[in-house]
Amino acid sequence: MNIAQLLNQLPGAVAQGLIWGIMAIGVYITFRILNIADLTVDGSFATGGAAAAILITSGVNPWLATLAAFLIGLLAGLVTGVFHTSMGIPAILAGILTQLALYSVNLRIQGIGTDLGSRANVPLSINKYKNMLVSLRNVGSFILENPIWLMLFITLVLIGLMYWFFGTEFGCGLRAVGANQQMARAQGINTGLADIVGLMISNGLVAFSGALMAQYQGFSDVSMGRGAIVIGLAAVIIGEVIFGRLFRNFALKMLAVTLGAIIYYLVIQVVLWLGLNTDDLKLLTALVVALFLAMPYWKSRIRTRKRKGGPAHG
Amino acid sequence: MADHPMLVLRDLRKTFNPDTVMEKTALAGVDLTLNRGDFVTVIGGNGAGKSTMLNAIAGTFSVDNGGILLGGRDITHLPEHRRAAFLGRVFQDPMTGTAASMNIEENLALAFRRGQSRGLRWGISAKERALYREKLASLDLGLENRMGSKVGLLSGGQRQALTLLMATLKQPELLLLDEHTAALDPKTAEKVLRLTRHLIRENKLTALMVTHNMKDALALGNRTVMMHEGRIILDLNEEQKQHMTVEDLLAQFEKESGRELSNDRMLLT
Amino acid sequence: MKKLISLLAVLTLVLGVCACASAEEKVYQVGILQFVQHPALDLATQGFKDALTEKLGDKVVFIDENASGEVPNCATIASQLVSKQVDLIMANATPPLQACTNATGDIPVLGTSVTDYQAALEIELDGNGATGMNVSGTSDLAPLDGQANMIKELFPDAKTVGLLYCSGEANSIFQVKKVEEYLTVLGYECKRYGFNDSNDLASVAQTATECDVVYIPTDNTAANNTEAIANVMIPAKVPVVAGEEGICKGCGIATLTISYYDIGWKTGEMAYEILVNGADISSMAIAYAPQFTKKYNAENAAELGIAVPDDYLPIED
Repeated sequence: MNIAQLLNQLPGAVAQGLIWGIMAIGVYITFRILNIADLTVDGSFATGGAAAAILITSGVNPWLATLAAFLIGLLAGLVTGVFHTSMGIPAILAGILTQLALYSVNLRIQGIGTDLGSRANVPLSINKYKNMLVSLRNVGSFILENPIWLMLFITLVLIGLMYWFFGTEFGCGLRAVGANQQMARAQGINTGLADIVGLMISNGLVAFSGALMAQYQGFSDVSMGRGAIVIGLAAVIIGEVIFGRLFRNFALKMLAVTLGAIIYYLVIQVVLWLGLNTDDLKLLTALVVALFLAMPYWKSRIRTRKRKGGPAHG
Repeated sequence: MADHPMLVLRDLRKTFNPDTVMEKTALAGVDLTLNRGDFVTVIGGNGAGKSTMLNAIAGTFSVDNGGILLGGRDITHLPEHRRAAFLGRVFQDPMTGTAASMNIEENLALAFRRGQSRGLRWGISAKERALYREKLASLDLGLENRMGSKVGLLSGGQRQALTLLMATLKQPELLLLDEHTAALDPKTAEKVLRLTRHLIRENKLTALMVTHNMKDALALGNRTVMMHEGRIILDLNEEQKQHMTVEDLLAQFEKESGRELSNDRMLLT
Repeated sequence: MKKLISLLAVLTLVLGVCACASAEEKVYQVGILQFVQHPALDLATQGFKDALTEKLGDKVVFIDENASGEVPNCATIASQLVSKQVDLIMANATPPLQACTNATGDIPVLGTSVTDYQAALEIELDGNGATGMNVSGTSDLAPLDGQANMIKELFPDAKTVGLLYCSGEANSIFQVKKVEEYLTVLGYECKRYGFNDSNDLASVAQTATECDVVYIPTDNTAANNTEAIANVMIPAKVPVVAGEEGICKGCGIATLTISYYDIGWKTGEMAYEILVNGADISSMAIAYAPQFTKKYNAENAAELGIAVPDDYLPIED
């Protein structure tokens, strides 16, 4: 158990954490700001990867391909939004339905250009596409191409954009819808439209993150989004538990989400480093996340117990 | 010179959960006309249809039958958020009227833009902030010094005062008050009522106020209507109100509805 | 600060490696990344380890990792193995192969249980069947024309063949496509039945019973759910020809098998060549299973009343 080895693995965890952090910010928008549990993300994450992979392998510039993935994510969010508002389907179900549909859509997207018409896996080797935005290959070296630099830049720009957007009149309206739907309607805000826009932006970010992930790991796979919602929620909650007291500003709250994603990946890295049986990886990750989730609850219980046992005897 | 009345309700009907065990006819044909500047108090027993009538006007649900005209325009089929442009509302639950997780000035900013399309303009201008400070100061609750505080930290009375301010920040065509002091302690309720009267008078608002307090109902406003089983059974004008006592009102109720009013809350307050 | 830590880390590693090299003979660090827990993949890994252990004894140390079926874990573990600076990586299945080849362009990566290296890496094998980069390995491709011929041999009067596979597995799609070509030439009408995952596998299998014969490639999901398939196929009296022995044992009649243990062993031999004899991985051809055997499931064959020629071996329990 070599500490040097663990330190050596940190860059990988940080890089992956930053990429997932973008997805987590998307989850934060629907889950915390709009109060919707959006399960579309398991599907839209892979959709982003699929779209970017197909475009990059057709010779499109990776920057454009990644941006295109964002746009496709907007569409995915729109579908869920329409299911929810125009068809009255409860948000959770609407998300599940879209995610279900996206599985086939993703196979089709990846199958463009093949004679079968659908493909489960698209390779994106760094050897072939040298100008991809991020790659697993460069994470260990201290060079400009190290994905951590670009990811930090993208994360900061993104947080800035979100901070600006949610400070606009429209953005404030979205926040009001999540805070108090009845009141928002009484103030003339179209809550259906707000939900749709929120879902669109959120899934756009998730797909964007999926596109980056496909480039990072060197392939897009139709099952790469499985479990994404769990990672996203874990990141949001870990960020709140640890930084909730310190970070009250909206921009900092989103930074906390990103840090939450990084911490989640650090936990996985430590579990691997401890040399524990990787068969137990999921069990251990679940335990650690459960601990994080329990902390705010335990903290408040300790606080009330202290208060009860205190001045009452005075 | 006679412009159209501010509010016209024509034969409004609404039945909840039709064809089920819980079927309830909340509105059984309500006709009401409000002129500009009317301040009407609405009383009645439980289930009389008072809040339902307000919610019907606001558009929380659509009516089964009848028409609603506001300022001459037919709003019967407009969705709730579109009607909000013409209405100001204060709810019974202090939690409902404001967003607890946002701060005071943000809540006011939301109300300020009621009825406008919300674009990408950023933040609150200094001029706006000054306006909010001035308006909050007139409430005399010290809120003007706490504009950055989250509304969730305020007491129920403070939140209702804030909601009231938000409802009148943009001059509404009709102010709907749904038992807005019911959840407050007597002292705070008194304060909020005084504020209500002041704002209505100062802005010459047309208002519809549901209350369970018969004394208040008679003392406030220039008109009082009493509802029973989804219909209006009594409509008192200013002069009638002046000469009416609570006992008289009860007697009238028995006469019109054919039974005793058995609502402790209304009798004992 | 990060720079300092990386520098320190690198220094420590370098010193460590130097110390090892000078003190005694080299102990090789071999990383293994297996995609999911699964009988065929397990056998391949076992064969690999046995081959290297036989040749190197205690001069080889394995870092045995499993991605538990999660694609994101492949990237995490791949980068971990690379940061440990292992001497060689064995990638068991396609996603690990892809992740590892992206994680490093220097450390030799030997794949196994991968059907089509060209599709997986988007490359073309050179005239010798080698990749020209730091990748080689073994393929679990059993001759698909041989399997098509097996169907012809056992079911000459059948008209329709249903192809049952998981639409999320690239290897399966590849095999289905090829088998379909061969079967069509042999005069069969083929229909594809792709399921998403173990949840809709049974219902899709049920639809497939409309065919005279069903073919299942070396599909991971099918291999993990042979009970469910058997429960559909046996009562419907539809014979299944499987791409590998595990599936045949669970729900099939006959199969042209390769041994995953054998290809794992072959991969181990290739690893030995690279580590000890300094062979150049970029010119090492992809190796295929050394031998194929016609095997049949006696119990299922009896139940469906199918007579099997003598050159078929029964699958042992």
